[in-house]
Amino acid sequence: MSDAVAVPSAPRRVPPIVDHLAGIVAIVIAWQVYVTATDAPAYMLPAPGAVGGALADLAISGALWRDLGFTFGNVVFGLVLGALAGFALGFVLAKSPTLERWLDGPILLLQTAPKIALAPLFVIWFGFGTTSKIVLIVSLVLFPVLVATIVGLRGVPQNALELARILKLTTWQRLMRVELPMALPEIFIGLRIGAVQAVVGAILGEWMSGKLGLGHLMTFASATYKTPLLFAAVLLTVALGIAVHVSLEAAERCLLRWKQ
Amino acid sequence: MITIEAVSKRFAGPKGEPVDALTPVDLTIPAGQFLSIVGPSGCGKSTLLRIIAGLETPSDGKLTIAATGVARPIGFVFQEPVLLPWLSTLANIRFPLDTGGVPRAEADATAHRLIKMVGLQGFEDALPHQLSGGMRQRAAIARALSYDPPILLMDEPFGALDLLTRDRMNDELLQIWRATKKTIVFVTHSVEEAAYLSDRVVVMSARPGRVRAIHDVDLPHPRGEATKLDPRFHQFMATFRRELK
Repeated sequence: MSDAVAVPSAPRRVPPIVDHLAGIVAIVIAWQVYVTATDAPAYMLPAPGAVGGALADLAISGALWRDLGFTFGNVVFGLVLGALAGFALGFVLAKSPTLERWLDGPILLLQTAPKIALAPLFVIWFGFGTTSKIVLIVSLVLFPVLVATIVGLRGVPQNALELARILKLTTWQRLMRVELPMALPEIFIGLRIGAVQAVVGAILGEWMSGKLGLGHLMTFASATYKTPLLFAAVLLTVALGIAVHVSLEAAERCLLRWKQ
Repeated sequence: MITIEAVSKRFAGPKGEPVDALTPVDLTIPAGQFLSIVGPSGCGKSTLLRIIAGLETPSDGKLTIAATGVARPIGFVFQEPVLLPWLSTLANIRFPLDTGGVPRAEADATAHRLIKMVGLQGFEDALPHQLSGGMRQRAAIARALSYDPPILLMDEPFGALDLLTRDRMNDELLQIWRATKKTIVFVTHSVEEAAYLSDRVVVMSARPGRVRAIHDVDLPHPRGEATKLDPRFHQFMATFRRELK
């Protein structure tokens, strides 16, 4: 793991978070200076204060929680569903070479097809509501998890499987107590890719249809030239992405503690 | 008791031609015996052990394991200690019991007793990567003993250890054998290990893999430093070595 190749560095005076915050503060100041100096119109580049104001308005009106909650819920639900489906399918394919040979072509086709191109089709098939959005997210999460599961299960050492045979474990016991934990580091790689895709998919789905979510907020803001609101929506998306990433990382740290 | 009748194993070679990994072997291992199989690499000693374990199917012949009423008659110790890296030493040793439906308290008691037997007290909560090679192999042996199988199969279990650790592990294994009266089949390429540990030694040779000779090693028990000074111990070693050539 990355810890093993850590290079000794000079002792730090401040924690890294201070450096990150300093960078962000510097950008905000530069942004404010630019807006003031060039007198940029608010519909092109609003000042940081205006964006903050838009965020505050959103929070007060309750729209922030409604839209953020909708998008967040879809991301979590789609991620869980896609991960479960990807794992189940990956398990079946890893265990059945025949099935894998048959499904290799179709899967490659589906995997490489840009899901964005399929998004309008999902709307036609599953309507303007939540279903089409979930289907889009699931389709984006499924493949990275599926591939990672196959790689992980293939990498389970032969002698661990032989141990399972000697101990006469049932198929379920072998899966849950030997193979799944062994494959978990790889599965998490797939999950991390899938999580990024899930946020993209959720926003994309809301761009195309519906009356809720951060994606919808963006299209509304851009159509009505409410640029500060657009900026606020973008910032919320970033926060959502970070939140998903951080919780996944925490889950990984907890489940893979033995790797450190 | 393990009965091996005309058991052989044939693999497909690189060009699809049949390769005899093991020409027919006949061997009866009575209950409670410590039997070693010694031979150069490629002689089929591991193949024979894996056939007894049920990890390989023989191409021909018949294998009978008389262990009535035991759900899991075989304990297997691999060349590398195959510990589950996310489980503590205690949980690794308890693993066969947990998966075999033994109540938690009973499993814990057994695991603690075995931890003491193999000298891993104080390392109950350590993860495998925090243990030394010798400690890991001791944990693997304790795991194989946890469900009390009548037969213990060991595939060059101490091959990766340094000589000092190996000597100590040999003595510990003899103690365990005396205490538990298990049938032990022990694969090694060391003639010294074979002569020191066993009641009976099967010498095998390679290409094709076959049984070269079988010896009863009637050195007195318990064995220890005195055994290693016994001229007959050296005679046995010389005989095995000659037969391995």
